[in-house]
Amino acid sequence: MRIKFAALILAFLTVLLAGCSAAEAGTVEAGTAESESSGAAVPVPVESGETAADPEAPAVDGLVYVSTMKLDYAECFDVYFYEGGYAVVEISDMRSYLIVPEGAEVPAGAEGRFIVLQRPLKNIYLAATAAMCQFDALDTLSSIRFSGLEADGWYLENAARAMEEGDILYAGKYSAPDYELILSEGCGLAVESTMILHSPKVQEKLEELGIPVWIDLSSYEPEPLGRTEWIKAYAVLFGKEETAEEIFSVQKQYAAELEGFVNTEKTVAFFYINSNGAVVTKKSGDYIPKMIEMAGGRYIFSDLGDSETASSSVTMDMETFYASARDADFLIYNASIDEPLESVDGLLAKNELFADFKAVREGHVWCTTKYLYQASDVNGEIVHDIHLMLTSDDGTEVQPTFLYKLY
Amino acid sequence: MNAESKTSAWMTDRLKARSRYLLILLLLAAAFFALAVVNIYSGSVTITPEEVFGVLFRRMGEETAQYRIIWQIRLPRIFLSALLGGALALSGFLLQTFFRNPIAGPYVLGISSGAKMVVALVMINFLERYREVSSSVLILAALFGSLLVTGFILLLSRRLRQMPILLIAGIMVGYICTAVTDFIVTFADDSDIVNLHNWSLGSFSSVGWSNVHTAFWIVSAAFLLTFLLSKPIGAFQMGEAYAQSVGVNIRLLRIAVILLSSILTACVTAFAGPISFVGIAVPFLIKKILRTAKPIIVIPTLFLGGAVFCMLCDLIARTAFAPTELNVSTVTAVFGAPIVILIMLKKHQEY
Repeated sequence: MRIKFAALILAFLTVLLAGCSAAEAGTVEAGTAESESSGAAVPVPVESGETAADPEAPAVDGLVYVSTMKLDYAECFDVYFYEGGYAVVEISDMRSYLIVPEGAEVPAGAEGRFIVLQRPLKNIYLAATAAMCQFDALDTLSSIRFSGLEADGWYLENAARAMEEGDILYAGKYSAPDYELILSEGCGLAVESTMILHSPKVQEKLEELGIPVWIDLSSYEPEPLGRTEWIKAYAVLFGKEETAEEIFSVQKQYAAELEGFVNTEKTVAFFYINSNGAVVTKKSGDYIPKMIEMAGGRYIFSDLGDSETASSSVTMDMETFYASARDADFLIYNASIDEPLESVDGLLAKNELFADFKAVREGHVWCTTKYLYQASDVNGEIVHDIHLMLTSDDGTEVQPTFLYKLY
Repeated sequence: MNAESKTSAWMTDRLKARSRYLLILLLLAAAFFALAVVNIYSGSVTITPEEVFGVLFRRMGEETAQYRIIWQIRLPRIFLSALLGGALALSGFLLQTFFRNPIAGPYVLGISSGAKMVVALVMINFLERYREVSSSVLILAALFGSLLVTGFILLLSRRLRQMPILLIAGIMVGYICTAVTDFIVTFADDSDIVNLHNWSLGSFSSVGWSNVHTAFWIVSAAFLLTFLLSKPIGAFQMGEAYAQSVGVNIRLLRIAVILLSSILTACVTAFAGPISFVGIAVPFLIKKILRTAKPIIVIPTLFLGGAVFCMLCDLIARTAFAPTELNVSTVTAVFGAPIVILIMLKKHQEY
């Protein structure tokens, strides 16, 4: 009896431990899948307008394939064009949307295979914060009626104004939207970030109510400009592909200007201090370190964090951070979660050890603006800003937009 | 006082008590209907009484937003909050009877911690591997986690005869599950942590008719079985020796009580996440106002009481700061925690 009992307790503990190791194993495998997808062959780009056959293009009954959208950096979506102004947007392997022009008929059999979005899309509920700037850049803010963020949460001027003027209403956050409000005004689309994947009940409820859900996977893009290139996916919803191409080419230009630039070899630490006093910094494979490299700097951690997991941040104790970042040439305080700093004293108040950092002694401490994380449409400009910071001692007078210096 | 007048006084008392039970039941039923009506009318969108009547009884305007708001948003939510509120109260009553402890609620024993642990494992693994996870998978995960802990407590109950020690052991199991969850969360993405936290506060938002149907069958079956056990539970309340003397199989009763309680808790956790204090506060209040702990009277009354309590809390959760919705546990804690303090203060009294 005792042996039986002990065996049962052992079995329970084994289940728990197996679960833990499964969690870790799962993390690794998933990350592998992601890195595979990151490195996966992107369908050979076909210039928009060309009629070469694309084996990846989904066959749609009654529609004739025309071309595939050319993508330079984005890996998480593809766009296929068909005669008559129809388009299919495939977001990763997860969702396929058929965009139907205004007044055109939905092809037979499309309803089951695709999520059908008929133009014009109106009264959109936007819960993906990073997507608002894309709508703003495309001048389609008027199509948004509901926001998942309150007015004071927006650092994007036009979005904040639209909310203050009542053109956009707050309709609850992504995990608890006000279904009644959204439904009452005939919401045509819910634009969600990857956070919705953690709240499947919400996604299923929206779909049950007949509201199609668009999932913005731009945060999964490994390249900074891949995030910006999502403007092309949004453009298809409104038939503004040319506008998107123009906007994106400007951002590409910012990055292209730095292509021949010899790396300054100046080291940069990007971090914030959490409520426990620990340092939260970015993994080496995250898009922020990539932007630092593109801007001509070196991220202080060359091999930080498991690149095969989805998490983008690493939390470490001050001692570990001090050992690595004490000699960093620049410190950038990440004010996306924590409050922005007003002075170097503010940083020292968080931990006196910072006084010993080279960047603090030499006056190279910077802080991000809150706007940085809502400005995914201008990642090229952000790279340019970091470049300005790195060369700020070279007599440059231009002030960065997304960063400011602490004194 | 002669025997005749004693009998007469006893009859009068009994009649009074019965009248009180009936009155309380009627009052709760009235509160239930009143809250159902208020819940149907309340929300972000104003719907006139005529429209509500037309939509409910004449099925008018099937294509209108009002129709869908009432039938697809408000009604399933009302039904589920009532069902699960009743289930929580019943589960609390069973556990308090089993452990002979008024604060032995469904979540004190680590049942919700077990559910959270498995939900955390499943959510993180599925999202890492497949980038997606369906709500039914999370429901099954919560159910499995709850039953896993229950199974473990049942195993322990075979070894630990003393109820206070078993209760402490249950709490310890909860701590182990919480520690495992914390361990998993340490390696999780920020988004996993935020969403797990949201889930652990419970909500009736996003429920649909399929949830209501499934919960209805589980809760109804558990309620019926519990009601049928009223007599042996009543005998058990008088002490194990007495129960055995009247032919109650204590071992089987214990298993039945803990299984039924766990199934009810697991069902609530699976469909709405953990909801705190209902399982402790409602049975205490109901027994207090009924002035009896007789299962045959208490069981239906506290089920109705739990339904009323949860419907009220959900009404507050969704309307107090609309369109921002509060988590249900935030509201149940505001009303429930003071009651638990009251229990502590009056712990010397008989229940």
